[in-house]
Amino acid sequence: MFWTRRTTRSTTLIATGAAVALTASACGGVTDGTTDADDYPNENIRLTVGQEAGGSTDLIARAIADEAQSALGTSMTVENQPGANGAIATQDVASQEPDGYELVLLNASLITVTSLVVDEDEEVTLDDLDIVAGLSQDDYIMVANADSDIETVEDMVQADRTISYGTTGVGTASQLAQLLLMEEADIAGNEVPFDSGAPAMTAVMGDQVEVATVQVGEAMPQIEAGTVKPIVVFSEDRIDYLSDVPTAVEEGYEIPISQYRALALPAGAPDEVIETLREGLEEVFASEDYQQFNEEHFLTPAELDGEEVEEQWTEYAELYAELVEENDIDLGGDD
Amino acid sequence: MDFAPVIEGFGVVLQPQNFLFCLLGVIVGMTIGVLPGLGPAATIAILLPLTYTMEPVTAIIMLAGIFYGAIYGGTVTAVLLKLPGETSSAITALDGYPMGQKGQAGKALGIGALGSFLGGTIAIIALTMVAPIIAGWALRFGPPEYAALTLLGILLVATISNGNMLKALVAAAAGLLLAVIGRDGFTGELRYTAGNLELSDGLQFVPIAMGVFGLAEILYNLEKRHLAQPKPIKVDKVLPSGQDLKQSSGPMARGGILGFFLGILPGGGATVSSMVSYGLEKRISKDPKRFGKGAIEGVAGPETANNAAATSSFIPLLTLGIPANATMAVMFGALMIQGIAPGPQLVESNPDLFWGVVNSMYIGNLILLVLAIPMIGLFVRILYVRSTILAPITLLIVCMGAFTISNRFFEVMVVIVFGVLGYLMKKFGFDPAPLVLAFVLGALLEDNFRRALMMFEGDISQVAGRPITLTLLAVFLLVLILPVVLKMITRHKNLNPLSDSSTETEETHVR
Repeated sequence: MFWTRRTTRSTTLIATGAAVALTASACGGVTDGTTDADDYPNENIRLTVGQEAGGSTDLIARAIADEAQSALGTSMTVENQPGANGAIATQDVASQEPDGYELVLLNASLITVTSLVVDEDEEVTLDDLDIVAGLSQDDYIMVANADSDIETVEDMVQADRTISYGTTGVGTASQLAQLLLMEEADIAGNEVPFDSGAPAMTAVMGDQVEVATVQVGEAMPQIEAGTVKPIVVFSEDRIDYLSDVPTAVEEGYEIPISQYRALALPAGAPDEVIETLREGLEEVFASEDYQQFNEEHFLTPAELDGEEVEEQWTEYAELYAELVEENDIDLGGDD
Repeated sequence: MDFAPVIEGFGVVLQPQNFLFCLLGVIVGMTIGVLPGLGPAATIAILLPLTYTMEPVTAIIMLAGIFYGAIYGGTVTAVLLKLPGETSSAITALDGYPMGQKGQAGKALGIGALGSFLGGTIAIIALTMVAPIIAGWALRFGPPEYAALTLLGILLVATISNGNMLKALVAAAAGLLLAVIGRDGFTGELRYTAGNLELSDGLQFVPIAMGVFGLAEILYNLEKRHLAQPKPIKVDKVLPSGQDLKQSSGPMARGGILGFFLGILPGGGATVSSMVSYGLEKRISKDPKRFGKGAIEGVAGPETANNAAATSSFIPLLTLGIPANATMAVMFGALMIQGIAPGPQLVESNPDLFWGVVNSMYIGNLILLVLAIPMIGLFVRILYVRSTILAPITLLIVCMGAFTISNRFFEVMVVIVFGVLGYLMKKFGFDPAPLVLAFVLGALLEDNFRRALMMFEGDISQVAGRPITLTLLAVFLLVLILPVVLKMITRHKNLNPLSDSSTETEETHVR
């Protein structure tokens, strides 16, 4: 994911500073095992992100870490370990001690969509993790060029031609949502995968493809500028930020797809630790800065507790697998 | 055109923090760049980690500073030791080194600094005017156009490279193959990962560049410097006299314009332009015999040309996202680490950054001029620090930087493997630049070509039939055929306009 947005990273370090920071974070990883769950947390917590710095997952992690000091009474550092859509980072954290000092920010798509594409040994399951709480919901929207004759999904059905559509890559929610829509609505579609949201948007603006589905935050500036127009969102309910745009579900297509995110730690953590983290997160959720962050990034709070998240994600994983089977679509990958 | 963003860009650069890092970049760049063999690409690759945690604009501004500092560092070693930092300053050694031997090292370095400044200035002014025009076509550049453009880029890189063309092609082919590793972005299938999850996203560009340019150069230099410890040369009277300026103004003006146009072309524009400038000056000189024996024009022209070319090579990078040479490839990596996608959208979506970078080059050049003249003596001393002290420090910075890319030890291993590979390549006369460039361009070519085919449901005539694509493919054919045709003509007439300068160049190539 090269095409990521990036806002503030204020620290400026020179070589020696970077060296110190490295040593510090390396030491932070080694907890001595004697830490008592009662006085948790008494040292720095590391929050690992499986995506590159600057992407929306990373920004969410940093927004939480910013509030952690006041909410938990200890500092939280964000560490990016990008690769394999977060599988490397998640597996890495899952293998650590469940002492509460090693957390990971999970993307639901890793569990619900990526598993449809990758080999079994690459698959990440929720069994190795305990989920602290759900965070927010990031939605997908289909857009068309402002000059296009396509205004609605119905227009695409009526168009009586092959509609080329841009996705943000293989095994992404963007691909799944559109494959399902084309299939369910019986539209002749031509899939063109891009590396991420930004180039897919550019392709719509330059008329290289007719429509594309990207995250709302990526499309919003162009929607507001009037260069692209929204067709449909894939969330279960209409989203506040674009309340006049219909959902695929209300248009009659069973495609409820959003990106959910949650905070997790290695399985087997003491209840006190999870409870402390949960209370801390409640405080983060209540803070004004965090709420403002969600609004600025077009995120809808989905602050469920751990069990609910597990249930929800498992349900989605099953639903997507079923839909893929039913519609006989192929996301790619080794079969 | 609208000048407001340009002016705002200056505002960005002149913010105290950005200005400071530009200054710091020039100093650090010159410090590392002055080490023989470490050219701009290596210097930027080594120092890249310093910028990870900065704001994007600040980071790129500092890198631009490092870039200029490193280029000038190469001039210093070319004049004093006849060891150019990279091939583009090899020409400078032709007359710069004899000047040093005659006790005019200061004069050569002074005129070199002035020439670099003027060359950079000419190119920046032109860049300011050209970039928005190219960016205006941005949306018309779809996958087919990119595929054609990268194809042209790979051809130019492999053929206009320095030295043996067959070896360059071999290196480029290896780079193309390396680009294949990882998950296929269209089918999701894994390619050549040997079941290793670390490889599922393919190899990262930055550790490869750090290995092949940074680590390999350190290893190579250790060996070289062990063999020959340089003896100090006195550097004084850096400020050029009125007479010097009068002699140099013509070569500088011609070199600057020449460099700008040749620099836009992918594939070592800086080297070619300094060679062409040298050839031109020698040809039109009233007394060509002075060349090679310390003629100031032989330093002024090429130095101006290579700096103008170095600056204009930012045009394809910033406006199209296509790196034209090894240094730009490293810059490309640096931008990606910052989460910035260089390409047609950059000017519009991120005017602050675009004009900040462009104008920082201007300021960087100015700082270089102001700093270089009084401080040359100081930088020269770095040459005499023992490599047993320098090499481990540089190595540590490289490994640390590689680790911090994604906090994985895996990347450090990649650096080491490619460091050894790069060292062996250099030892056996392979230029590592085509490998790195083909690696970057190969991925772009494959993705865009396949994407273009998908857009038109496999109809290749529609892919190739778009006007810009067709033009680019025509240029591709021209570049492919032209050298063969030219060779036939020259063989026929037995006349080669560049033969004089090119043979002399061979001698000074340290690689």
